[in-house]
Parts: sequence; C-alpha cells; structure tokens
Amino acid sequence: MDIFADGAREAWALLTRGDAVTWHAIWLSLWTSVLSVMLAAPFAVPLGAWIGLSKPRSQYTWVFLFRLGVGVPTVALGLFLYGLFSRRGPFGDLGFLFTPQAIVIGEVLLAFPILASLSHAAAANLDPRVLETVRTHGGGRLLAVRLMVSETRAALVAAFLLAFGRCLTELGVAIIVGGGYELRTRTLPAQVSLEISKGEFGKAAAACLVLVVLAFGAVIVAWFLGQERKR
Amino acid sequence: MTSRRRLLALALAALSLGAVSCGRSDPAGGGARTIRLSTTTSARDTGLLEVLLLEFEKDTGIEVLAVSVGTGEALKHGERGDADVVLVHARKAEDAFMTAGHGVERRDAWWNRFVIVGPANEAVEKRYRETLAAGGSAAPSASAYLRAVRDAGAMFVSRGDDSGTHKRELDLWTAGGAKFERWVGYRSTGQGMGPTLTIADEEDAYTLVDEGTWLKMRKRLRLGVRSTGDPGLENPYGIILPRADGPTGPRSAAARKLVEWVTGPRGRDVVRSFTVDGERPFFLPGETPPPGP
Repeated sequence: MDIFADGAREAWALLTRGDAVTWHAIWLSLWTSVLSVMLAAPFAVPLGAWIGLSKPRSQYTWVFLFRLGVGVPTVALGLFLYGLFSRRGPFGDLGFLFTPQAIVIGEVLLAFPILASLSHAAAANLDPRVLETVRTHGGGRLLAVRLMVSETRAALVAAFLLAFGRCLTELGVAIIVGGGYELRTRTLPAQVSLEISKGEFGKAAAACLVLVVLAFGAVIVAWFLGQERKR
Repeated sequence: MTSRRRLLALALAALSLGAVSCGRSDPAGGGARTIRLSTTTSARDTGLLEVLLLEFEKDTGIEVLAVSVGTGEALKHGERGDADVVLVHARKAEDAFMTAGHGVERRDAWWNRFVIVGPANEAVEKRYRETLAAGGSAAPSASAYLRAVRDAGAMFVSRGDDSGTHKRELDLWTAGGAKFERWVGYRSTGQGMGPTLTIADEEDAYTLVDEGTWLKMRKRLRLGVRSTGDPGLENPYGIILPRADGPTGPRSAAARKLVEWVTGPRGRDVVRSFTVDGERPFFLPGETPPPGP
C-alpha cells in the first residue's frame, strides 16, 4: 500500500520541482496524441461520415475494417512499424526509427479507425432528411459531410477525445518504434514501464498518476459532451 | 443439486490438500531446502546463473530462487532479510554494506569485463589515437575512448537505468575528475542490456556492454568491439551472506552452503567451463584472461 503513498508524494515533488524527464514525458505524450488525432481526422471523419450518410453496398465491409483497426494490438502495430523503419526494413533510410515522428505515425494509425467508425455511427444515425435536403439543394458530398458534422458535433468531439485517449495511453508503439529515449521519445506510459523495471515504484506511480489524470480527464469531458447531445 | 455441491466441496478439498503438500518441508537435521538469491541482470542474462544454480541443486538438493533487480535493490534485500544470499558487482556498495554490519561474510565470486562496441568510425579512432599519443602511454584507455566518441560528435547509447553497467559508464566519464557532459549524440534508454544493445546497433552508435551479453548477441549485430583491455573495464562480482537471518538460522546454513559452493572447486569449475559463442565471459579471481573478443 505504501507504493501509492510514495507515488503520490513523489509525483508532487517531481512536478513542483520541474523535473525535466517527467515534464518532457507529459509534453511529448500530449503533443503526439493531439497531433495524431488532428492528422487523422481530416481523412477519417469525412470517410466515415460519407459511408454513414450514403450507405453504399460496401458499408458493412467498411465498418468491419474500421473495427479491425480499432482492435489492433498496439504492440503488433509497433512491431510492424519497426519492421518498416528498421535499418534492414524498406523505409529504414528515412531515419524515422526512435524519433517522435515514428510515434506520431503509429498513433495516426491508431486514431484513424476510431474516428472513422464513430463518425460512421454518428452519420448512420442521422435523420435521412438531412441528406435529402442536401441533395435537393444540389449539394455534393462535401456539403453533406459539413452538415453532418454540425449536426453531430458533440458525438464527434467525443470521438476525438476517445481517439486522443487511445493515443495517450498506448505503450506498444511508443516503446517499440519510439525507443524510450529519455528527454526525447519517452512518453508517460513508457516512463511508467521503465521505472517499474528499474524498481523505482515511486517514480513509476508518479508518472502513472499524471497519465491517469489526463486519460480520465478526457473520458470525463467526452462524457459531459455526450450528455449535452442527449438533451 | 446437493450431490453436485458435495462433489465441488470434495474437489476443492483435494485441490487444497494438493497445494499444501507441494511445499518443501525442512528435513529434521535443520537447513532449509529453498533459499532466495538477489542478484543483478548480467549473471542471469548470460545464462551462467542458471547453470550454477542447477549444478548446486544437483549437488546439495537445495533449490535457489533467484531474482534479478538493480544492485542497490539487491543489497537492500539482503539488509531487510528478503534475500538469503546477495550476488552483485558493485565493490564500493558491497564494502559499504559490510562496513555497516549488514553482512556476515563477503567473498570474491568471479569477474568479467566490459567492452565498448560501436561502428567503424575513423574520426573517433583518430581522436583516440591522438589522445593516447598526447598522454604518452600506449595502454588502452576506455575513458579516453569515450571522450573521443563525444568529441567526434558520434552517437552513444547509455543504459541510463542506475544499473552496474550504467554506474561503470559514469565512472569512466568522470575518471580523473572530469565532468560528465551530455552532447547531442548521447541517448539514454533506461532499459536493460539486451534492448540497449539492439538500439545501439539500429542507430549505428557506441555503447558499453558486458562481454557476456555481447558474446550472446554479437552474431546478430553490425557493431564491433572498439575498446577493450583497460583495467578500468574489469568488473568483479561479490557474493555476500547477509546477517538478517542470524548466523544460526535455518536458511543461513543453506545460504552459507551456496556461498561456499560457488567459491569452492565445483563452482569455480562451472565458471571456468562456461562459454558463450565459443569464448569465456567470466574469470576466476586472480586469473589472467586472454585478450578481448
């Protein structure tokens, strides 16, 4: 039980002291997760939305693929990207391995299916008169998607926050293609894992505390936005 | 329903009986059958520990449960009585442990060497040769080699995890009162020797590695040994009998047996004949080893 007390105390000390390693991990985790969601969204949301609105014959194939993407183990994705970016791999010369860019690439691939499948769900549940309205006014796909986005805004924000949460808390990609370099590519989950294997439970609990606060924070915000939609 | 419940109760009783009888009981003559050893990762990762403990169990019937933690943690285990024997490679810390009265006895177990591995980098080699020439000595200097790596702007990957290897790396950086300064090519992984070595290989970077792990992994790597032979790279292991169980406790007798066996003829035989990829990574106290791998 003293692990938690030590952890809380250590967390406070590390944060208030401005410990560079901890603050870097917080900053790295936040900016890679936000950027990954922002990069995936312009492609994932319109795709999912359009499939949900137009309901083509291939609709459920798409939904199935999105769900596969949501279920991919992060270590499998990490290993796959490692194979691509390793010196011996096809894209080794690009120098992505063990850089924050590699982490972002992996997290974009994690965020995409979440955003696509939730956008699809929001669009599919939309009143069909919305699409009809767009068509009668001679509007194309783009207008339909834009209208859908404004109608389902709360659901989409929730989707963004869930994708953000997935990126923030994942470990497989960060450690395998990130390498866990201190002050360069060590995200919060990587920090927790590495401190535990060093036997530094206080420091691990400290990083874990910050991570949980951020992750739960995203869930709580998504929850309240969802409630707003039900009104 | 009642008969099914009775069957379940019977099954549960049988299981618990089975579980209880699985424990080893102390023989009437005293001395435990299972003792705990706290050690660090390099003896375990090379496979030496497994062989030693297997042979020990064959000879004495005592099972040793080994756990690998950091040096500091292993010594703490000894202090608190969480370990019956401690095996580490940190002489200063071991001496402090004994001086503080936590140990009954400390013996030299064996020793190994560290090597600096890295890519073929002529700029680094040139700087190193110049440093040696300026110092007037031809003897290999690991510290001078590390400084050549830094000054040439090459990349170095550190364990960065407060391990014995990491501590040795820092000792080399600060040898002769020098200050340790990171440079743009310095990386700290915070991970074990295996992952750190793999990362260094990926990055075509230099790193400090114990010979055992190096011999095990070198076939798969592009890196080569760049600096070896400096006495500062020698790494002695000490085996300690902690005081916590008291000199006459049951586990202490078995623990003493382990300490005596490891430093006795049988243990020394095992260490002497232990090879990885055709070479010996571990040497006995007082032995003069062949030149590096």
